[in-house]
Amino acid sequence: MTIQEQMRKGTTTVIILNLLAEVDRPMYGYEIIQELEARSEGYFRFKEGLIYPRLHEMERRGWLGSEWQGAEGSRRRKFYTITDAGRRRLERELQGWQAFAGTVNQMLGIEPAS
Amino acid sequence: MNEIDQLVARIAAQMDLYAETEHQVLAEMRDHLEEAIAEARAEGLDEAGALARAAVRFGLEEEIGRELQATHAGWGTADAVVATALPVVCALILRWLAFAPGGTAMGWPLLLSRPAFWIVALVALLIPLLKFERWRYALVTWVLFWGLTVLFVSLPALRW
Repeated sequence: MTIQEQMRKGTTTVIILNLLAEVDRPMYGYEIIQELEARSEGYFRFKEGLIYPRLHEMERRGWLGSEWQGAEGSRRRKFYTITDAGRRRLERELQGWQAFAGTVNQMLGIEPAS
Repeated sequence: MNEIDQLVARIAAQMDLYAETEHQVLAEMRDHLEEAIAEARAEGLDEAGALARAAVRFGLEEEIGRELQATHAGWGTADAVVATALPVVCALILRWLAFAPGGTAMGWPLLLSRPAFWIVALVALLIPLLKFERWRYALVTWVLFWGLTVLFVSLPALRW
């Protein structure tokens, strides 16, 4: 696994939480994948099916809420929204990420972007 | 069985969850694959090409099935612990509250008038309601709690 793949895997949770917080509306799995890919200009392209274990885990932890939409017998979709607990988690994750990225940049001698 | 059914069946083969949970998980996978195929078809691919692209982008069904199983199975165990341990613990707390310091059992009317009784009873209801996906499971847990409570309080001979 390359360093990019490892970083993508490690940051999937925070990126999904951030996306749902930004759009502030329910999104379903396929839509989330498409949006992440578009926003990252193709960088965040991963095996699509693997997003579901992450979504379900976040839902179980109470960071995401979900609702099935669509009538019985027709196409039904599971939509996800970020919860208040998810927003608090996102805030902590972002703080952790900033500290981590700042330290790594410092160690690698990379100047922070002005 | 069409190609989507076969893909979903390979995911299902890796899972052994509650029937309702598994049904919902597989419905979500199916919806994803159907949309991915429809999008590929809209871009001009034929049926076989669209299916092949959707399958490749989706990933290995066995790996996804294993990850989904791991995600849900562990939480199922935690739910089972709450469903069995919580009513027993709450019923034991109430049984302890039901006896005055001198050892005489309180009558039900006096017990029901104590706020602590209702606080424990509410805890026994609210925790499962907030934790479980299905409210029916929370009610079953609550019924178990009341059954044990009535048993414990009504049979003083069971007192430690």
